[in-house]
Amino acid sequence: MARHETTPAAPTSVIHDIGYQRYEGTRLGRAHAVRALYASSLRSAFGLGRSAKAKFLPFGILGLLSLIGAVFALVRQLTGEGGGPTYYLGIPSNVGLLLIIFLAVVAPEMVSRDLGNKTLPLYFSRPIRRSDYALAKLAALITAVFAVLAAPLVIMFLGAALQSGIGLDGLWDEWREFSLGVFNAAFYAVLLSALSLLVACATGRRAFAAGGIVAVFLVSTPVASAGMEIGTGNARDLAGLASPFSLLGGVQEWVFDEGIEVGHFGPLYGLVALLLVAGCAGLFIQRYRKVTA
Amino acid sequence: MTTVELTNASRWYGNVVAVNDVTMTIGPGVTGLLGPNGAGKTTLLHMMAGFLAPSRGTVQLDGQPTWRNPDVYRELGLVTEKENVHGFLTAWEFVLASARLHRLADPIAAARRALDHVELGDAQHRRIETYSKGMRQRARVAAALVHDPAVLLLDEPFNGMDPRQRLHMMELLHGMAGDGRTILFSSHILEEVERLSGTVQVVVAGRLAASGDYRKIRQLMTTRPHVFAIRSSDDRKLASALMAEVSVAGVELDAKGMTVRASDYGTFSRALPVLARKEGIRLVQVLPSDESLESVFSYLVAAP
Amino acid sequence: MSTIRILNPTIMGITTRGLLGRKRALLLIPLPLLLIGLAVLGRLSGSDAGVWGEGVLIGLGMSVVLPLTALIVGTSALGSEIDDGTIVHILTKPLPRREIILAKLAVAFGITVPVAAIPLGIAGVIAGSTRLGLGLAAGAVVGGLAYAAIFVALSLVTRRPVAFGLIYLLVWESLLAGVLSGTKQFSVQQYSLTIADRIAANDLVQSTVSLPVAIVMSAVLTVGGTFLAIDRLRSFSLKGESA
Repeated sequence: MARHETTPAAPTSVIHDIGYQRYEGTRLGRAHAVRALYASSLRSAFGLGRSAKAKFLPFGILGLLSLIGAVFALVRQLTGEGGGPTYYLGIPSNVGLLLIIFLAVVAPEMVSRDLGNKTLPLYFSRPIRRSDYALAKLAALITAVFAVLAAPLVIMFLGAALQSGIGLDGLWDEWREFSLGVFNAAFYAVLLSALSLLVACATGRRAFAAGGIVAVFLVSTPVASAGMEIGTGNARDLAGLASPFSLLGGVQEWVFDEGIEVGHFGPLYGLVALLLVAGCAGLFIQRYRKVTA
Repeated sequence: MTTVELTNASRWYGNVVAVNDVTMTIGPGVTGLLGPNGAGKTTLLHMMAGFLAPSRGTVQLDGQPTWRNPDVYRELGLVTEKENVHGFLTAWEFVLASARLHRLADPIAAARRALDHVELGDAQHRRIETYSKGMRQRARVAAALVHDPAVLLLDEPFNGMDPRQRLHMMELLHGMAGDGRTILFSSHILEEVERLSGTVQVVVAGRLAASGDYRKIRQLMTTRPHVFAIRSSDDRKLASALMAEVSVAGVELDAKGMTVRASDYGTFSRALPVLARKEGIRLVQVLPSDESLESVFSYLVAAP
Repeated sequence: MSTIRILNPTIMGITTRGLLGRKRALLLIPLPLLLIGLAVLGRLSGSDAGVWGEGVLIGLGMSVVLPLTALIVGTSALGSEIDDGTIVHILTKPLPRREIILAKLAVAFGITVPVAAIPLGIAGVIAGSTRLGLGLAAGAVVGGLAYAAIFVALSLVTRRPVAFGLIYLLVWESLLAGVLSGTKQFSVQQYSLTIADRIAANDLVQSTVSLPVAIVMSAVLTVGGTFLAIDRLRSFSLKGESA
């Protein structure tokens, strides 16, 4: 409260305005906001900034995958076998179940929470656009999945590179295989993230989103394998389109020559994968356009 | 006659004590459970309704503990604060289901009565999710009293109601209390409690700060001076005479009259008429101006 | 009047309407259609059922459609009312808690059967023989009952029954049971398979758990889950000030 003082010793009388002050400093703008959203989503994917329980699963899976990578590297060191194209390329499909669990936990954490707590109006009454929000979340999930897939690859590469007697040629070969593996991991990250986020943004309850993501994978996988068993020839080659993992396996076969059997349909797999990513991302962005309170 | 009795009831969650050694008896009529947010009102109501076990002490309805005792619901009705209804049901279906679950002999008639009682007869065949907040509230009250309970517990029933709905609900509760029922409602809005009930239970930080008629509570608050607004035929003369009184702590004059702060209610109320007569001053108005629930409440909440 | 004492029709009605009357119910349609559709496709393709039968009937049907359906339905039967608070209306009634739980279980089981067990039976008939279909259906019925009890109990024991149910299904039944044979003794899926195997006597269905173990454990889980749920419901607590 303002007080008016006049004592003989005091030189001046003044009333201080300590009420609401306007912010006059710099405002950072949309790009900064989007980057901040991306960073905070990525952090929340790994539970940073939350309780220990939230860190358990993502870091646990990261740890498990790193362990798997280390085991592969060790086995290769000890037996001298392994390496070659399948060494790195095979990782994502082998750790499929862990990836599904990771996605089922992290994707809802990213989008279902905001939906369930009805905090979206808070985001959208700020400089960022609807598409910015969606793309930032997508980018964050892709980064998270990619990090989780890349960790074992890096460990395996280091294990191979640090072998004695590998020589410069061997190192270069190893680096090539590793890079291909990293690209492959990126494909997996992009497709699986887009799909998972689309499923997750359908509900504000994390448990249902998780269940939905799991259901999509759990149901599509046997369908694809059944298709492969039932069909013959072309039908058989096409059956892999039915499930995300086999679709990616087909893409892998087309791009890297090392995946599942797809006959002539490699480019088709690539096209379907691209369309799927675009479609999921598009629907995901679309979902936020019609957000009400 | 049905009474709810709490004896040394406490409830804690780890380190947080929500209800701290509360002993009270709620009898027939309307009682207001008053307290700031977080004081423990909802915890108390949930304990009385059998949805929380007391960590210590007992919570009983007519001598029967309410915890793990479904039979208690024959005589008990609860209206929670949170709006929770099966939105896809109509009010009629909802109240009828309630009546059926109570195993009433004639559920249809009971449901009809209950809905008429809360005046939802017109809208009863629309789905609850299409209702306004006040109508949903009334549907829940109807479901809670379809079995004619002797005890009705309501948690912040007037939250978010407009004045007309509030009046209507108050009449409803008054009527039920008049039939001899025990009604306990919680609130942190003083005007409601003041208007509806004489008896209050004031809960502050989990403890029972005061109980009884709030006017009597005021009189019990001896450390605080009582304030009177007085108008007379000669204010200034009366004022100077009053300052000489032992029971008077202060006098203030303004255009409207005078405000007297009395440190001793009893002595002052006896001394005033005597003094006025002696001075030949006519008293036009003597009003205890802080005998409102608000002053009682702020005193109780602020007390160390 | 005595049937009301065991299964409460009002509660069953509200639960069913709550489960099926929403968009969530649509999730239950594609799975059985997929199952039957694939079986039909397989039959039409002319290839021997031995090739694709296991993938469709066991891989999709028993391992995915049955547990997922039971999970969705079992956790929602009671869980959705706990989540949105409407369970207060059911509890503030002088009903024995046993009656409430049994009604919920009946609905959960009653929906799982036509959505999972019967389509599985039909797919079995299409893929192989009537006997195979009957065996699968019977196994799914027993499994569905056990799952229902487990998931209803889970919704009272934890606030995230779907998450824990998923962990049980994914980690325990799928991952570990494939790796550690010891865990198979404690897997509802295995019990369903055992019963189906015994009745169907078909090579498509393989089981590792013995029949007595399967029957006893299914019974134990069903009864145990029910009793646990009843007890937890008796001690159901609402939190205090604004949750």
